[in-house]
Amino acid sequence: MLNSSTIRHLEHALNGRTLNHKIIANNIANADTPNYKAKSIQFKDSLNQSIKATRTDDSHIPFSSESDNTPLYRVKTNNQTSYSHNGNNVDVDKEMSKLAENQLYYQALIQRMNGKMSSIKMVLKGGR
Amino acid sequence: MSLFNSIHISGSALTAQRLRMDVASSNIANAETTRGRQVEGEWEPYRRKMVAFQPKGQDFQSILSKAKDGSPGQGVVATEIQDDREPFKLVYQPEHPDADAQGYVKMPNVDPLKEMVDLMSATRSYEANVTVMNAAKGMYMKALEIGR
Repeated sequence: MLNSSTIRHLEHALNGRTLNHKIIANNIANADTPNYKAKSIQFKDSLNQSIKATRTDDSHIPFSSESDNTPLYRVKTNNQTSYSHNGNNVDVDKEMSKLAENQLYYQALIQRMNGKMSSIKMVLKGGR
Repeated sequence: MSLFNSIHISGSALTAQRLRMDVASSNIANAETTRGRQVEGEWEPYRRKMVAFQPKGQDFQSILSKAKDGSPGQGVVATEIQDDREPFKLVYQPEHPDADAQGYVKMPNVDPLKEMVDLMSATRSYEANVTVMNAAKGMYMKALEIGR
């Protein structure tokens, strides 16, 4: 119960959401900067990473998930478009809606974390 | 990973937008200033100023780390205040103390309309960044409630 993977997964997700918030903040901060290109986050499926297959014999071919140490998210710059004549492509409306969405995800994750914590507390108190 | 960093990002944008507002108000205030600065003993009218922005962290280290795994960025910084090289307006006003032999006075190249638009744009950007900062604050307050 105490070292289940739930908290670790939630932590990963919270880290990703924090990074996403930073990216959105930076995009909005640079909304008037010439030639700035908007950045976005790309999440990777962490399910495959967390499901660990174990080799029963050393002569077996290693599973790909064992050596996979790549981060679960990466930052991508969108160089394709240009909204304004100074080469900037930050869409403030889009960034603001992404901000609201990200905030809700973050709060949902915190709530889940709290739910997990309270069940641990419940167990520690012996169900009282 | 800290959320405080994102508050710094929004903070840098607030500073930059405030500078932009300051420069726009200075331009409007000096829209009629015929003695901006002295060039070779002659008075030159006030020249319109403009702010140049750049993403923060354009040094080698930041660019290298960005190329390696992609960083979210560090905000914005105002690099310099430039002069507008547009020519001065000539106004016929023979009684003006700064009029030339033909009776024309050189007026600053400030267009109040342009300045007002710039001012509005700066205000809106400022508001957007305040919203982002408040969002970060809300998220941080939530994070403090973990395990309560």
